[in-house]
Amino acid sequence: MTATLHRLDRKLANTPPASAKTKGKPLISLKGVGLTFGSNEVLRDIDVEIGEGEFVCVIGPSGCGKTTLLRILSGLIQASRGTVSYRGKEQREPASDIAIVFQDYANALLPWRTASQNVSLALEAAGMPRAERRDRIAELLSKVGLSKHADKFPSEMSGGMQQRLQIARCLAQNPSVILMDEPFGALDAMTRQKLQDEILSIVSESNVTAFFVTHDLEEAIYLGDRVIALEPNPGRIAELIDVPLARPRNQLTTREEPEFLALRRKLFDFVLRYE
Amino acid sequence: MTSRANLAWLLASLLVTIAVVFFWQWIANTGYVSRVFLPGPDRAFAALMRDYNSGKLFTEMGETVLRMVVGWLVASIVGIALGAAIGISPLARTWIAPTLELIRPLPASAIAPVAIVFLGMTDNMILLLVAFGSVWPMLLTTIHGFSNVHPRLDEVARVMRLNTFERVYKIALPAAMPDILGGLRLGLTIALILAVVGEMITVQGGLGSRILLAARAFRAPDIFAGVIMLGLIGLVTNVALTALERRLLRWQPAPAH
Ligand SMILES: Nc1ncnc2c1ncn2[C@@H]1O[C@H](COP(=O)(O)OP(=O)(O)OP(=O)(O)O)[C@@H](O)[C@H]1O
Ligand SMILES: [Mg+2]
Repeated sequence: MTATLHRLDRKLANTPPASAKTKGKPLISLKGVGLTFGSNEVLRDIDVEIGEGEFVCVIGPSGCGKTTLLRILSGLIQASRGTVSYRGKEQREPASDIAIVFQDYANALLPWRTASQNVSLALEAAGMPRAERRDRIAELLSKVGLSKHADKFPSEMSGGMQQRLQIARCLAQNPSVILMDEPFGALDAMTRQKLQDEILSIVSESNVTAFFVTHDLEEAIYLGDRVIALEPNPGRIAELIDVPLARPRNQLTTREEPEFLALRRKLFDFVLRYE
Repeated sequence: MTSRANLAWLLASLLVTIAVVFFWQWIANTGYVSRVFLPGPDRAFAALMRDYNSGKLFTEMGETVLRMVVGWLVASIVGIALGAAIGISPLARTWIAPTLELIRPLPASAIAPVAIVFLGMTDNMILLLVAFGSVWPMLLTTIHGFSNVHPRLDEVARVMRLNTFERVYKIALPAAMPDILGGLRLGLTIALILAVVGEMITVQGGLGSRILLAARAFRAPDIFAGVIMLGLIGLVTNVALTALERRLLRWQPAPAH
């Protein structure tokens, strides 16, 4: 209900959310989070607050702890130090309204279930009666453009289709937060851009908070309200960068804006330091 | 595979069967092997027809099939349930697996004397023998299948907050199904062998007893008729299991030809 009002508010005001700080109370907050695997310190002193409806992207060189950070946020693993709280409560187990889009979609889908049955899993888990599932599944599949492939098994779908299916299944959880781990890493450029725009429209439609890990600097700028740049060994926040680009974003014009290019330059220099 | 290619394969295998039968007849006719030991397919077939007409054939076959199937079903239920319990919990694996490894290499025929002591020369003894022998492939493949569920699927289950029952029923069991089906198939073969062995030991009817008695009386055609029936049972059950496998595993990508 409040979410709906919030959304309405935003629509009426018709102002693109500018800086993260203006975007309501923090939904997720990490304070002094650190993680050590055996003798390997992976993350140190991570402090971030993520507001409701915010789109936060994470970049950083390979092995700097991006995936680990996402897993801590999700509650799949626990931090060794510091606190992770979600809606003011400590995050101990995955919450039912946090969805994860895994990088390896081929492993995350149930290969013995068709596309619609895979989406159904999330609805079954939420206890939705069978009679209501059917319509919801059709709606979700059409949202990600898979209506025609409802009865295909994952093995009969292309990589892009499988990733879209995983996204549909995550949306079926009716999440308030979506955590995505390099979701488009294995896709070709065209599919990738299409899915970027789909994600943006889904997220803005339902005021979902997004945490998005990527290798692709331009993708981070294009999607995010903020970009977290992690530096490695141990993984720390090097910079928190606001992205002041207007929404809705556009694959052609947004990417040509001077701010976009300036940010790209800045992130590029950052990454070069660790090559 | 196209249906035309299927048909070609079927024809080819049929041809091979026919060729073998002819070869068998030829060997028998030449008389290299005494007719007492090796009847031709003609005499074996005559024995089959005789027992078919008297109704004895299907009674005996029915007894053997019943023992095989009941023993195998018991073994499947026990094997899958126990395997699931062990496979899903790392703790159970470390506690129970060593004991299993100790019992597993025992040849099933070695427990026959033990089973006879407790159950006598009875039907139940045969069932125990069959179940004991065929439970292992089911148990081991189920443990393997359950403990090899991709960790990502476990995480999917956690993120969706599935309960233990849902995790077993919706994730682990279907994920382990290819392994389990392999175990079921192996188990069924062993079950047929042990049903016959049990019948030979106890002489409680069935094809095993028939073959044993025929051998004692030097009725070679009857032995061969019994062996042919056993072959048919094996063939039919295998075809049935293959059909089941196709149905349950139709999600698997077709193997490249
Ligand atoms: N389960 C684990 N046990 C021990 N070390 C681990 C484990 N998971 C990750 N690590 C270590 O943590 C560090 C960060 O890994 P992580 O997967 O978070 O990196 P990443 O930033 O996601 O890298 P990439 O961009 O290549 O995906 C690595 O040095 C890795 O070796
Ligand atoms: Mg990673």
